[in-house]
Amino acid sequence: MSDQHTVDAALTGDQAAWDVLVARFTGLLWSAVRAYGLSPADSADAVQGTWLRLVESLHTIRDPDRIGPWLFTTAKREALLLSRRNRGERLIADPGDAEHARFDPADAGHVHSDPALTVLTADEGRRLWQAVEEMHEPCRSLFRLMATAPDAGVHQLAGRLDMPSGSYGPTRGRCLNRLRTMLTAREATP
Amino acid sequence: MTRHPPTIDDESLIAALRLAAGHDPVPAHVSDAARAVFGLRLPGAATARPVATPAPSGVRSSEETRLLRFAAAELTVELEVTSLDGLVDLAGQVSPCPEAGTLVEIRTLHLTQSRELSPTGQFAVTGLPPGWFSVVCHRPEHAPVATSWTRIRP
Repeated sequence: MSDQHTVDAALTGDQAAWDVLVARFTGLLWSAVRAYGLSPADSADAVQGTWLRLVESLHTIRDPDRIGPWLFTTAKREALLLSRRNRGERLIADPGDAEHARFDPADAGHVHSDPALTVLTADEGRRLWQAVEEMHEPCRSLFRLMATAPDAGVHQLAGRLDMPSGSYGPTRGRCLNRLRTMLTAREATP
Repeated sequence: MTRHPPTIDDESLIAALRLAAGHDPVPAHVSDAARAVFGLRLPGAATARPVATPAPSGVRSSEETRLLRFAAAELTVELEVTSLDGLVDLAGQVSPCPEAGTLVEIRTLHLTQSRELSPTGQFAVTGLPPGWFSVVCHRPEHAPVATSWTRIRP
């Protein structure tokens, strides 16, 4: 069933069609929000909020093929808002801020073909790990650990990698930059 | 940040690595909740979107109050949100004041409460669980107006 048919059916109130969308995208959305370092409970809230946004905006989706990017962008935004709330001042309601007020999720203009979405496929995932296997330490171990222990805290991860806690974030940033550079180099190789 | 376009942000790369590694499966309750959300759709409803309100000031205490404002084409819903002992109280004002017979529904993922608007357009509900909520204004002879889903933290 194409996204067009699925969305059309969902618009007529077809729960089974909605369930198809949930089955297709929930794994992607879960990974997308977990990457912001949110707890399982906050991650569940962010994914929940993403589907609620779709429920309230479903009738405004003009291009059903864009539903994947739309959900992805929305989930990242919800996760970012949540992680900011967690880091900053404790506010009791989201989203009451101007940033969110300016974001009209129904506006497909906000959703470009996100290059990030292209790496979130099974094929690209395999290529990504092939690249990781070619990396030097500490990057290779850091990524393996990051992927196998999604709920480990910075302190624990740093300990396993035998580095000070304060080094974990910057090291991870450098390793991600290195990985990005490798991907870009591969893109450029015919 | 890399200078090479297209840029893939850190979080998306982390998500891609983890998704492919398969060590962080979606909890069943997350998928269940996503399917259940479909029952909350309101075909034909207008969405009242959040508009900025002045940031709260003053001393933070165990009791916090926050003002939220949502606007649709012809209706504004203002909510005073108070969080106390892990539960949430809402005091709301709908303006301009709708005609008599207007019902307000306060919806959460688990329960819905109905209130009749006072003659001055006000309503209140106490002891809500924290989480996502939406307020729906049902006026006679009009399409419903629903505030954009908003998360209240514990």
